[in-house]
Amino acid sequence: MKLEVKDLRKSFGDKEVLHGISFSIESGKALGLLGRNGAGKTTTIRILMDVFRANSGTITVDGKPFHPKDFRIGYLPEERGLYPKKGVQEQLMYLAQLRGSSHSDAKKQSERWLKRLGVEEYAQRKLETLSKGNQQKVQLAQTLVCNPDLIILDEPFSGLDPVNSQILKDVIREQIEEGKLVIFSSHQMSYVEEFCEDIVLINHGDIVLSGNLDQIKREYGHNRLVISLGTDYQEPEQALRDYVGDLLRVVGRRKDQVIAEMKEGCTRELLLKELLERNLVPEEYGNYEPSLTEIFVEKAGDQA
Amino acid sequence: MKQFLTVLRFELNNYFKNKSFLLTTIILIVLAVGIIALPGIITAVEGGSSASEESAAGTDESSGGGSEETVALLDENGSIADPEAFSAAMGMKIKWMECTDKDQVEDAVEDGKAEAGFIVEDLLHYTYVVENRSMSDTMQEAFSAAAAAVYRAQALTDQGLDPAEIEALYQTQPVYETQILGKDSVSNYAYTYMLIMILYFLLIFYGQMIATSVTSEKSNRAIEILVTSVDSSSLIFGKVLAGAIAGLIQCALILGSAVGAYQFFKDSWGGLLDNVFDIPIPVWAAFAVFGMMGYLLYAFCFGMLGALVSKTEDISKASMPVLMIYMISFFIAIFGMNDSNSMLIKVSSFIPFTSSNGMLIRIAMGSVEMWEVILSGALLAVFCVGAGVLAAKIFRFGTLMYGNPIKFTTALKKIREK
Repeated sequence: MKLEVKDLRKSFGDKEVLHGISFSIESGKALGLLGRNGAGKTTTIRILMDVFRANSGTITVDGKPFHPKDFRIGYLPEERGLYPKKGVQEQLMYLAQLRGSSHSDAKKQSERWLKRLGVEEYAQRKLETLSKGNQQKVQLAQTLVCNPDLIILDEPFSGLDPVNSQILKDVIREQIEEGKLVIFSSHQMSYVEEFCEDIVLINHGDIVLSGNLDQIKREYGHNRLVISLGTDYQEPEQALRDYVGDLLRVVGRRKDQVIAEMKEGCTRELLLKELLERNLVPEEYGNYEPSLTEIFVEKAGDQA
Repeated sequence: MKQFLTVLRFELNNYFKNKSFLLTTIILIVLAVGIIALPGIITAVEGGSSASEESAAGTDESSGGGSEETVALLDENGSIADPEAFSAAMGMKIKWMECTDKDQVEDAVEDGKAEAGFIVEDLLHYTYVVENRSMSDTMQEAFSAAAAAVYRAQALTDQGLDPAEIEALYQTQPVYETQILGKDSVSNYAYTYMLIMILYFLLIFYGQMIATSVTSEKSNRAIEILVTSVDSSSLIFGKVLAGAIAGLIQCALILGSAVGAYQFFKDSWGGLLDNVFDIPIPVWAAFAVFGMMGYLLYAFCFGMLGALVSKTEDISKASMPVLMIYMISFFIAIFGMNDSNSMLIKVSSFIPFTSSNGMLIRIAMGSVEMWEVILSGALLAVFCVGAGVLAAKIFRFGTLMYGNPIKFTTALKKIREK
């Protein structure tokens, strides 16, 4: 299954909030939808879920128009909410049946997911009596109870402690391995890096970066090096600028590592040679691979 | 359809598992049965106690007539020759306290020695003395009637006429039979009034409950999962119909137990409530069709209102316009029942927001042509479905509009824009 979103535009009143969003994703993969608050991630997801209609643009599955009602979709909205005064399993079964499961299947699946997420003992309890973390797990069970083909998770890790986050990570990984198509929106870049092969970075309703995450990282690291001169140098950036400033440009710092971009004509070997000749023996010297957070801040943090 | 049934089942469960719903139903059933059983219980208790009193005291005066009252009397000119006969003419048991002057009468009343007092100049002029006059005080009327009767009797006797003969002449009543070709509003009034009150209570209770059930999903944020899982029409129709069914079941249970209890205790009421419970089939049918559709029409309106607000505390304010419309319909019905063929009731029987009451009154109490019933029913059905569809659209639109209540006109404009 291949889901393709092409040139989505959406306005609220006179204000256009999405200026042509496009991306695609296949089954068995996870797509990370990134962006700052108010960038347009949730609006994009809501258009996908047919909560809002786009002003223009298309969404297709294997080339055919995508109608959410034709698919089993597990959706974990950013605005979490279920029935606080209803029993946990009762509402899971209700939501599963609304999405097409039979009564017996809904019962079986709700039991399975409550057990998998470690909240089976609360099956008959009212939701409001559970802790916030356990309510989050019930929310996740709600997402998966209909055995969905497409899973959309909007900020799934918010409110989870490290142990629960690990359970959620395992579950998402299983789903990806089972060939489910996962769209994942989060501010927590480390989680996105763990699951997503592809990312789409939205900023002010525009896509500012998209593609394979490894490739993006390589491209971002292209021509950049990580150099550590050890603890002898209090200001390693200045030392590098003073000695080899004609060969590189300092672009950042990670603890005692300096991130430097090689100027035109410079190579890794040439730079190392120059450093050694000037008695600057680096303790670390290698290719720079940026973290997703660094890419995010560079791309989306421009207009803070 | 499957989704609609799932929503309906879930929402019905919400009602039937709700403790306050169950408790209200049980209390109302107990209350209805209790009230109907009360005369039977009182008769049984009184019958038992009077029998035991008789066996203990041997003979006793007739139990009727109430207790004896002490009344102060200053008969200035000896107008009341026989006080005993006079109190019998008043229809009361009175112990007369003869007084010699006005102050004595007033003192007796003030001190509570006498319940009231009379200062009699002659049979046509007297003063009634009482400490506090209660709403149900009939002493003075009884005194006036007795005084006038004694005066008339004396005047007739003076003229050589027999007062008993004249009295008998005045009491003459023609013997008659009534042949009602149409409907008897006098006997139909009671059950029509009851049916209209049932509709009123159904709407007041369930309207708010339906609006709350829609709004609560917005306030607890379950709505986003719901609208992405289920068609909004299935959702709103399921919710409204669940409210309607729960209301009907509750109403049938309460009314059914009242009717059942009445069958059992009919004798103790002496058939007094026959007019209330002996409802003809056509009236039941009209109540089922018009009452149900009118109820649904308003229920959809309440559903719409529920979708326009985000917090349950905003519901009562938002539902005021719909309640006002229903109150108008209700008052037209209550006042119109006095003349079921009036133009007001005729007009109201065709307007969908008032026809549930209007047509019910015409069918139960007035005269109505079949084409009128069909036309009014069709109009109401169209409005009912229209309100359902509009409610679904507004519900869909209002779904993710959290925050301040949305104006109905704004919602309509937005829907039209789409």
